[in-house]
Amino acid sequence: MTAREWIKIALLLTPGIGLILFFVGSVIYVAIAQSFGLYNLAGESKLSLEFWELLSGKRVFARSIGYSFFIGVTSALLSVALAYPLALWLRKPFRGSLLIGALLKAPLLVHGLVAAFLFVNIIAYHGVVNQFLQAIGVFDGPRRLQNDDKGISVLILQVWKNMPFALLLLTGAVQSISDDVLNAGRDLGAGSFARFRRIIAPLSVSAMQAALVIVFIGALADFSFQTIVGPTNKQSLAQYMTFFSSKGRWNEAAVVGVTMMGLSLVGALGLTLAAKLVFGGRK
Amino acid sequence: MHTSTLNRILLVCLVAVCAIWLIIPFTMAILWSLVDPSEPWTPDKLFPPAMSLYRWQNMWENSSLKSALFNSYTLAPLAAILTLTLAIPTSFALGRLKFPGREFFKMVAILPLVVPGFVLSIFFSSLLFQLGLTGSRFAAILLAHSVLFMPYAIRIMTVSFEQVRDDHVNAARDLGASALERWSVAYLPALKPGILATLLIVFIQSIEEFAIGFIIGIPDFVTIPTLLYSQMGQDFVRPNAAVLALILVVPNVILLLILERLLKSANPAMSSGKG
Amino acid sequence: MIKNILSGVAALAISASAVVADDLSSMSWDDIVAQAKEEGEVTFANWFLQDELRAAMAAFEEEYGITVNIPEGDNAAFNNKLLAEAGNETGDIDVFPRGFNDFENLDLPGLFIKLDALPADDGRVTELVGIDGQGFAVAYWGNQTGISYDPARIAAEDLPQTPEDFAVFWAANPGKFGFNYEKGGSGPSFYMNMLANLTGVDLSVPDDSPERIAALEPGFEFFREHAENYVITASNGDSITRVSDGELWMAPGWEDHVAGLQVRGEIRKEIEFYVPSMGMNGGGNGVAIPKNAPHPAAALVFVNWLTSAETQSMFNATFGTAPMHAEADDSAALVPNEQRAYRQPWGAQPFRGTIEEVFIETVVQER
Repeated sequence: MTAREWIKIALLLTPGIGLILFFVGSVIYVAIAQSFGLYNLAGESKLSLEFWELLSGKRVFARSIGYSFFIGVTSALLSVALAYPLALWLRKPFRGSLLIGALLKAPLLVHGLVAAFLFVNIIAYHGVVNQFLQAIGVFDGPRRLQNDDKGISVLILQVWKNMPFALLLLTGAVQSISDDVLNAGRDLGAGSFARFRRIIAPLSVSAMQAALVIVFIGALADFSFQTIVGPTNKQSLAQYMTFFSSKGRWNEAAVVGVTMMGLSLVGALGLTLAAKLVFGGRK
Repeated sequence: MHTSTLNRILLVCLVAVCAIWLIIPFTMAILWSLVDPSEPWTPDKLFPPAMSLYRWQNMWENSSLKSALFNSYTLAPLAAILTLTLAIPTSFALGRLKFPGREFFKMVAILPLVVPGFVLSIFFSSLLFQLGLTGSRFAAILLAHSVLFMPYAIRIMTVSFEQVRDDHVNAARDLGASALERWSVAYLPALKPGILATLLIVFIQSIEEFAIGFIIGIPDFVTIPTLLYSQMGQDFVRPNAAVLALILVVPNVILLLILERLLKSANPAMSSGKG
Repeated sequence: MIKNILSGVAALAISASAVVADDLSSMSWDDIVAQAKEEGEVTFANWFLQDELRAAMAAFEEEYGITVNIPEGDNAAFNNKLLAEAGNETGDIDVFPRGFNDFENLDLPGLFIKLDALPADDGRVTELVGIDGQGFAVAYWGNQTGISYDPARIAAEDLPQTPEDFAVFWAANPGKFGFNYEKGGSGPSFYMNMLANLTGVDLSVPDDSPERIAALEPGFEFFREHAENYVITASNGDSITRVSDGELWMAPGWEDHVAGLQVRGEIRKEIEFYVPSMGMNGGGNGVAIPKNAPHPAAALVFVNWLTSAETQSMFNATFGTAPMHAEADDSAALVPNEQRAYRQPWGAQPFRGTIEEVFIETVVQER
C-alpha cells in the first residue's frame, strides 16, 4: 500500500467511520469512565471498581444479562429462520407477490409501541384471543396471558417487528444469486435443503450476518416491549439501566450500559462467526 | 406439484395469516378509538355501547399530533438521504478495496448500535451543546440520527458493493465506458436494492427514534415517538392510544406501497438480465 | 460529564440569570404582569395528563393572553433535561413540576429562583408531607394513593384494612389483587406501608444500613409467602384498566388518576377508591422556576395562577385532585374525608429507594 492509497482510503472512511469515531467514541469513553466512578454528574469523581463489584454481586444483574441475551439471540435466530424461506419464495415475482411483500413488511412501519399496544389489547384477560380460545373450548375460562413468565410475548413482538427487517436484507442478497448457479445445483441432484445449505446460504452469508447482528442488538437492548408485555419477574438490561438512571445513579447505570455494549459486541461477533462457520465463506 | 399451484396455496395461507396478524389487531383498535367518553367499553359488551368520533377530534385538536407528524416526516427522509450520502464512500472502501484493518473498521462501524439509546443521547446532546450545534434543533437531531443510523447504511451498502460483479465492471471498462457510465451500468443496478433498503431502514429508524428526538427536541420540537411515549408508555389509555395508533399507520401504509414498487423495479435479476 | 463540559458556561449562566431573578424580585407585581404579557408564552413541563391540562389552561390564557406550552415527555426525561441544560444561559423550561418529596433531592438554590416576587397568599401550600419548599417550590397538585376496587365484587365493609386482611383476601380470591412495583408509585406505596405495618420499621428515617433492611425481612417473607395469590401489573394505568375490565377486583392507584379516567369515560364509573387504615402515601406535586427560564415573568404569573384557590378548585372538579390551597373547594374528591387521616408521608430517601431495590430483588424477581 502506498501513502497515496492510504490517503484515499482515509478520505473515503472519514465521512462515515470518522464521524462515528468522533461522536460515538467520545460517548463510549465517557460511559466507560463513569462505570469506574469518573465523570460524575454529582459528587466527587474518583477511579474505583466499587460499582462493578457492587453490581457483579447482584443476582438481579446476572439474571437480566441472561434474560436479555436469551431474548436477543432467540429473536435473531427466529427472525432470520422465518425470513429465509419467505425471501426465497419471493425471489421471483409472481401474481400477488407484491401484495405479500407489502403485507409482510407492514410491521416495519408500525411503531414498536403501537405494536405492543395492539398486542396487549388482543391478549387481554377478556380480549379476542381469550374469547376465541374459550369459544373453541381450549380454555375453560379466561386466562392471564399478559406478562407471561417465559417472555413469549416479547419474542412474538420482536419477531413480528424484526422478521420483515431480516426479510428486507435477505431479499436483496437472495435475488442477486443467479439462476444459473441454482439450476446447476439442481442438475447435480441437490435437494432443496442441500441447495440452501451449500449454495444459497454461503452466497448470502453476508446479508445473513447483517440481519442476525442487527436484530440481535436491537432485541438485546429492548426496553419498550419488555416494560409493556415482558415478564414481571425478570428485567431486561435496558430496563435495569433505566432503573438506575432514573434515580440519578449514573455510575451503576453506566456499568449496566457498558455491559450491554460488551454483550452486543460479543453476541454480534459470535453470531457472525457462527454463521460463517456453519455456512462457509462467501463466493 | 406444479409451482404455480403451490404458489397459490401458499398465497392463500399467507394472506389468511396476515389477515389475522394485521386485521384483527387493527379492527380492535378501530373499535376502541370509537368509544364515546359517556360510557366506557367493558368486556361484557361485544361492541362499544356508545360510539362517536369524539376522541379523533379531541386528539387532532388537543395534542401535539399535527406538529409531530410534520416534524417526523420531514426529518426522516432527510436523515435517510444524509446518512446514505455519508455512508457511500466508506462502504465503497469497505466493500471494494482491500486494505489492512478492513475487518477492524467494519467493527468500528457498528459502534453506534452497541451503545444503548439513552446513554448515547444524553452524552450526545451535551457534546452538541459543547460544539455549539444547538442553534437549530432540527439540524442537531438530523446530524445525530445520521450518525446513529450510519451502521445500518454502512453495513447494507458494504454488502451491496461486495455484490457488484467484477466481470460487469471490467466489461464496462473494456468497452471504453467512462467512470460515470461504469457507475451507472455496472454499479447502480447492483446497488439499487441496497440503496433503497438503506433509505427505508434509516427512514424507519428515524421515525422510531425516541431518546435523541426527545432530549434534544423538547419542548418545541415534538416528534412522533415523543408523542407516543407520553400517550402510549406504560400508562396508556386504550381509546386514545387506539386513535393515535391508527392515525400513524395511514401515512406509513401509503409509504410502504410506494417503496414496494420501487423495490420491485430495483430487482437486480430483472434489471441486469439473468443477474 | 455534563457538568464537566459545561462548567465554564455554567458559571456565566448562573451569574446572568441571577441578574434576571433579582430584577424580578425588585419589580412590582403589576410590572411583572406587564413583562409577562410581553413575554407572551410560558413552558410548563408537566409530565402527566398533558392533553387534558392543555385544555384546562384556557382560563389562564384568556385572562392574561399568555400561551401555555405543555411539552410531551415524562418526569425522568424532564428532570434529565433540566440538569442537562442547567449550564446554558437560557433553558427551555419555565415552570418545572416534580413530586413534592423529590424536590428534596434537587439542588434548590443552584437550580431555581426564589419565589419571593409572588404576591403574598397564606393559603398556598409551601410545605407538604414534611418537605419544605424553602421558598423555591410550591404545591399545585394534591394526590393520594389508595386502592381502587370493584364494588360489585367486594362490599365497602369487607375491604381489607391491614396486612392480615389483605392476606385473607388474597387467599380467598387468588389472582384478583394486583399491584405495580416499579413505575408509577401507587404499588410501591402499597407494599411500603404493608412492610412498615408488618415490621414496625420507621420509614421516615433516611438511614439505609443493612441492619434496617434486615429488619424488614419478615415483611419481604410475607410477600414471598403469598406470591401465588397476587398479580404484578405493569403500571398504574395497567392496574386500573384491568380492574375496570373485571380481571382484577382490587389494585392500588392514585386518586386523581382514577378520578380523571372516570371523568373521561376511560374506565367504569362504578369503580370506587379507598385508603386502608394501615395507611398509604399521599402528598402532591410542586412547581419551581429554573434560573434559566426563558420567560421568567410569565412563569411567575403562571405559578401565581396555578396555585390560586380558584385554579385549585377547578382542578378538584376537573381532575379529582386534593386541592393545594387552604380556601379551595374539595367536594369532588374520591376519597371520603375521614380516610384522609390515613395519609402517610412518603418514606425518606435513601431508605425508600433501597427498599424498592431490595423488594424487586428478593420478592418480585423471586416469583
